[in-house]
Amino acid sequence: MEIVFSEHNGVSVARITGDLDGNTAPAAETKILEAVTGHELIVLDMTECGYVSSAGLRVLLMLGKQFKTQNIRWALAGVSAEVADVMDMTGFSSFFIMCPDIAAAMQTLKEQ
Amino acid sequence: MLNRIDLHPTHRHGEFPLRAGKPMPFGATLVPGGVNFSVYSRYATSCELALFRKHAPEPFAIIPFLPEFRVGNVFAMVVFELDYENIEYAYRMDGPWDPEHGQRFDKTKFLLDPYAKCIGGRDVWGVEPDWDNVYPHRARVFFDDFDWEDDCQSDIPFEDLVVYEMHVRSFTAHESAKVKHPGTFAALREKIPYLKQLGINCVELLPIHEFDEFENSRPSPVTGERLLNYWGYSNVGFFAPKAGYAATGKYGMQVDELKNTIKELHKNGIEVILDVVFNHTAEGNERGHTISYRGIDNKTYYMLTPEGYYFNFSGCGNTLNCNNPIVRNMILDCLRYWVADYHIDGFRFDLAAILGRDQNGAPMNSPPLLETLAFDPVLGKCKLIDEAWDAGGLYQVGSFPSWGRWAEWNGKYRDDIRRFLKGEPGMVGAIAQRLHGSPDLYQWQNRETCASVNFITCHDGFTLMDLVSYNGKHNEANGENNNDGGNDNESWNCGWEGSSDDPGILWLRRKQIKNAATILLVSQGTPMILAGDEMGNSQNGNNNAYCQDNLLSWLDWNLLEQNTELFRFFQRMIAFRQTHPALRYSTYLSGADQGTEVSWHGLKAWDADWSDSSRTLAFMCRRPGEQDVSCIYVAMNMHWDAHHFELPSPNDGRNWHVFANTDVAPPDDIVEPGQEILLENQHGFLVGPRSVVVLVGR
Repeated sequence: MEIVFSEHNGVSVARITGDLDGNTAPAAETKILEAVTGHELIVLDMTECGYVSSAGLRVLLMLGKQFKTQNIRWALAGVSAEVADVMDMTGFSSFFIMCPDIAAAMQTLKEQ
Repeated sequence: MLNRIDLHPTHRHGEFPLRAGKPMPFGATLVPGGVNFSVYSRYATSCELALFRKHAPEPFAIIPFLPEFRVGNVFAMVVFELDYENIEYAYRMDGPWDPEHGQRFDKTKFLLDPYAKCIGGRDVWGVEPDWDNVYPHRARVFFDDFDWEDDCQSDIPFEDLVVYEMHVRSFTAHESAKVKHPGTFAALREKIPYLKQLGINCVELLPIHEFDEFENSRPSPVTGERLLNYWGYSNVGFFAPKAGYAATGKYGMQVDELKNTIKELHKNGIEVILDVVFNHTAEGNERGHTISYRGIDNKTYYMLTPEGYYFNFSGCGNTLNCNNPIVRNMILDCLRYWVADYHIDGFRFDLAAILGRDQNGAPMNSPPLLETLAFDPVLGKCKLIDEAWDAGGLYQVGSFPSWGRWAEWNGKYRDDIRRFLKGEPGMVGAIAQRLHGSPDLYQWQNRETCASVNFITCHDGFTLMDLVSYNGKHNEANGENNNDGGNDNESWNCGWEGSSDDPGILWLRRKQIKNAATILLVSQGTPMILAGDEMGNSQNGNNNAYCQDNLLSWLDWNLLEQNTELFRFFQRMIAFRQTHPALRYSTYLSGADQGTEVSWHGLKAWDADWSDSSRTLAFMCRRPGEQDVSCIYVAMNMHWDAHHFELPSPNDGRNWHVFANTDVAPPDDIVEPGQEILLENQHGFLVGPRSVVVLVGR
């Protein structure tokens, strides 16, 4: 799993490549939290993230809760249909804003 | 915070650092850096932990519990650096093989943890298993955290509950259900709007603990199709949800999917009761498989005869030793877990009479297990419902040890109402008791109306449509020569056995269904409706569809259109019950509740005919509500001729208005509550043959 950070028009984008599971999720959480400190708008780009396990979903949820305490607005972009379906059935999706791609996510965050 | 000094490894086995574990809690628990494994066995001489990669045929590691990892009769060890999301674990135990004295240890068997919270192996419903698998039901380590937000047990009073008994898979497996993932917890969540539309506020789920649908599977002699252990009254694991009922079971996320479904049901004001089967396990008798308990501590977990055979009070091969202190604690741990971790609102205990037998099978006066459950703090707001009989002949309806806390499936209610419905004479006295919450059964024990869960149909037996369409059972498709299933159905086919196109017969059947719905929903106590009865679901006369995972059992949602009048009738009757406090006493009407009164009537007002030949009865009940006095009159004529009922006065300047009359064709058979129509003749009502009339005084 790799995370690459970039910035687009004042929005911090973290692109996750690879699987988000019990082996990779804790490191991802630490990395993302470090990188986004001081930002207000964050998009987690999941386009290249193939598999999100139970541990992965929990880390996304915990990230969301920590963003909230820091007044950071955030969205997920490019979640695959299968992962989105799992998120829906297990209830995680109710905690996330999910957009088809980065552009849509940035638009949504700016309109909030 | 300081780091604990007891969380560092002290030993190593191959790649895995280890240390002595904590004996409590039992099961596999995540601890910082590792997993604590703890398992009880009194008689095992040694124990090993076997680790498998997910679905792998062989374990990749076998780690013995060292002597210093044993505390009392518990083996406990922490294994560090485990990729716990991707492993499955088993135990192997060595000990005596001495069946005559109840010992059946076999150190070659991989054994499932009795406290496994997540079980793989039957991840997707109905997928043919690998029959040579050395470890078919596989314990997994799972995250028990879940964000419930502000969800809590809804704690609806028993008397306000309308229970809907359902099988998770049957409810949505049919293509007409039009759901994304048929037959799953997720699909149940999709159908919540329907449940709300119907108006029920509690679902009682047939077993959802992990079971093996392939247990005793065989071809049907009628269709050739494979028969499965469909209902699931045969537990593999008490702590784990049925993976095959979860659309996410293939990802091992059944725990989250079920919790999310419960959370959504709660959000919509619907409680969740689980049907739990603590009377036996899936291991069968001495010829059965060793899955877990038999290889871990046979003498503890099962009731054994002096010769070491299995007592069979369950009719399923073995009997769980419920009043052994270890098993008792396991059951308590299990129920607490479902309440605390899954926010379950109540339990219905299958063949609960077994829970009151001692270790030799004799019924006890004050069974410690039942008493413990009645007073347990974690279960304190939980509904406890017993099925007060077992397959060993113990029948305790009305005498089940309850401590004023247990409610029960009132089997006498079902039998008496069925007899009354089909026009049997001599039932009127009993019917008055049943309508009134069965004080003859429960009052002497200081139990109240809510001790009685009233039902006319349940999963076990005919559906309501079949109750009025068949005189006898038709279970040939089950492959047991029609010997299975009950024979005491008290059913009546209305003139023709099975499906018919005779308009007169069809009219009478629909009327009988409405009569049943009306009587059920005006009875004091807690009504329970079998899912599908509200749309006229049939099982073609099969009264024991436990093995029929097919169109016979699956609810056909097209029926909703075909039988709109039945759905509407149920819906309005439920709404009517919820509108009128007079139909929902919490205590018997012995003067405890100020201003409430019930009176019995017959063809003459104030003069019920209690004689043996009578088939008519009416009652009037009044109770002050929040805004107004709720005043109801119900006339029941189960005779084949119409009869004129003289009406008592509703008093206080009120007039009678008609809410329902099952003898009238739809849409005039029932109105919306509040839209009742003023009755022209306030002094009498001609009640049609085999009909029920409901009036409101306002």
